[in-house]
Amino acid sequence: MTRPFSGRKDGLSLSEALPDRSLFALVAMMGFLAALTLAGASGARALSARWSGGAAQLLTIQVPDANAPLAAQGGGSATTTRVQAVLADLASLPDGTEVHQLTPPELARLLEPWLGETDSSALPLPAIIRVKLPPDASVPATLEQALSTHVPGTIMEHNARWGERLRALANSLLACAGLALLSVGGIATMITGLATRTGLASRKDIIKTLHGLGASDSYIAGRFAWRTATLGFGGGLSGTLMACLPLLLLLQMAAPFASVPLTTPERLLPQNWQALANTIPSDMLCALALLPFVAAFICWFTTQVMVRLWLLRLP
Amino acid sequence: MIRLDNVSWRRGKKESGPVLAHLSFAVPQGGFRWLLGPSGAGKSSLLSLLHLENLPTDGQMTILGKTVAQDEKRAALVRLRHRIGMVHQDYQLMPDLSVADNVALPLRLQNRPEDEIQDEVHAILKWVGLGERVDVPATRLSGGEQQRTAIARAIIHRPGLVLADEPTNALEESQACRLLDMFAELSAMGTTVIVATHNESLVRRLERPFLFLERGRLVEEGDAQA
Repeated sequence: MTRPFSGRKDGLSLSEALPDRSLFALVAMMGFLAALTLAGASGARALSARWSGGAAQLLTIQVPDANAPLAAQGGGSATTTRVQAVLADLASLPDGTEVHQLTPPELARLLEPWLGETDSSALPLPAIIRVKLPPDASVPATLEQALSTHVPGTIMEHNARWGERLRALANSLLACAGLALLSVGGIATMITGLATRTGLASRKDIIKTLHGLGASDSYIAGRFAWRTATLGFGGGLSGTLMACLPLLLLLQMAAPFASVPLTTPERLLPQNWQALANTIPSDMLCALALLPFVAAFICWFTTQVMVRLWLLRLP
Repeated sequence: MIRLDNVSWRRGKKESGPVLAHLSFAVPQGGFRWLLGPSGAGKSSLLSLLHLENLPTDGQMTILGKTVAQDEKRAALVRLRHRIGMVHQDYQLMPDLSVADNVALPLRLQNRPEDEIQDEVHAILKWVGLGERVDVPATRLSGGEQQRTAIARAIIHRPGLVLADEPTNALEESQACRLLDMFAELSAMGTTVIVATHNESLVRRLERPFLFLERGRLVEEGDAQA
């Protein structure tokens, strides 16, 4: 005997009742925007964490005329240079402090964005000393004063000052990202609601008949909700995948600020994309992977509520 | 067992007059009743009430032994509706589905096993004379075939109560007689049957007790229409 019926044949024909392509495309766009927003939020959070962590413990000290003897300007030993004098003063900092004077190649790389690859040895560059304090240590209040008295012209920059500002900026970016995500979710809810309403309007009589035949609210709402959830999942997945390329490009642009910088100049070569992908924070990857499921849930929940409210009109 | 005690039903606001007023009657299990009356008398409204598409605004209604409260829970209504079969005047078949799929709907909504559904569907379609039309889309059926499909759908889940609203409207005399035999057979098998009609020749052919409505009121209740 042939099987005249298979699958879920109840006459609802939801693939024709709901504006499938529109819902899919609009959820894909929302997914795209959400993925970019999530990436921005993740970046802002990482930046905030970075600045409130390690970077706040950094000091940068510039010593002009670094190799000039200190005696020529003060009363020190004639064999001691200005930079050596500063390094000697820094030796009194708490245990665990890392003091590092940038080498000429490091200095050249630092200045590369402004000076290019030209030989910078002819320029009267100051010596740059990077000091990293241990996590629980703070900068002695008298250090800046002592350095400028002992070695005049020495400039000390405490990154914590910038860190506070950048942290505030990162937090405000996070808040903006949160609002943007809420907006995207709200728009997705509205789109799903409209699509569901269209489906209900076009299947009004069939739903009434099914209801009369004993279909429960949960059956009818479930049929609509699974359809929109499937479309939402597909749309969310497509949007997330579409966002991957611009995200990788943005990540590449932000690579110089990342903790694992890309050093090769041929940055857009596929093998480097792999390396680039490895730099994506795990929390961002998780958020992106969850995005299609969240889109599906928004569609499912919105449709469930809409259909159940609509069914309340029927006895 | 169907029992209505002083049941009224009004559509919408309380200020509007009742569509059905102070109806009281009882139909025993396996009983057959003609529902008669002129157009606009409230026959379809009474069937909707018995099918739980509307609930009484006053009075007490008992369907298949269960008293239906005015604020009855929706889940309880759905459960009770599973035990009622309704044949609408306009058939209300699903246009996208085949005859078999249309008839299978009540069983599918009860989550019955698919093999069991197939057996039941083929048996019932054979009984209503549509055994050769299983795969035909509902839209390609004649009026009589659509009517028989609607009847098969209404009774496939062996309901305790079958309601039919002008079921012979689109039928020729011979088909209408065949339909009557089916209803009589159902009643004989213990199903309560209520058929609304204004086809007097049909009523004369099958002499059964009747309810006569006029302007929403039960004006006559008799043993058989002579």
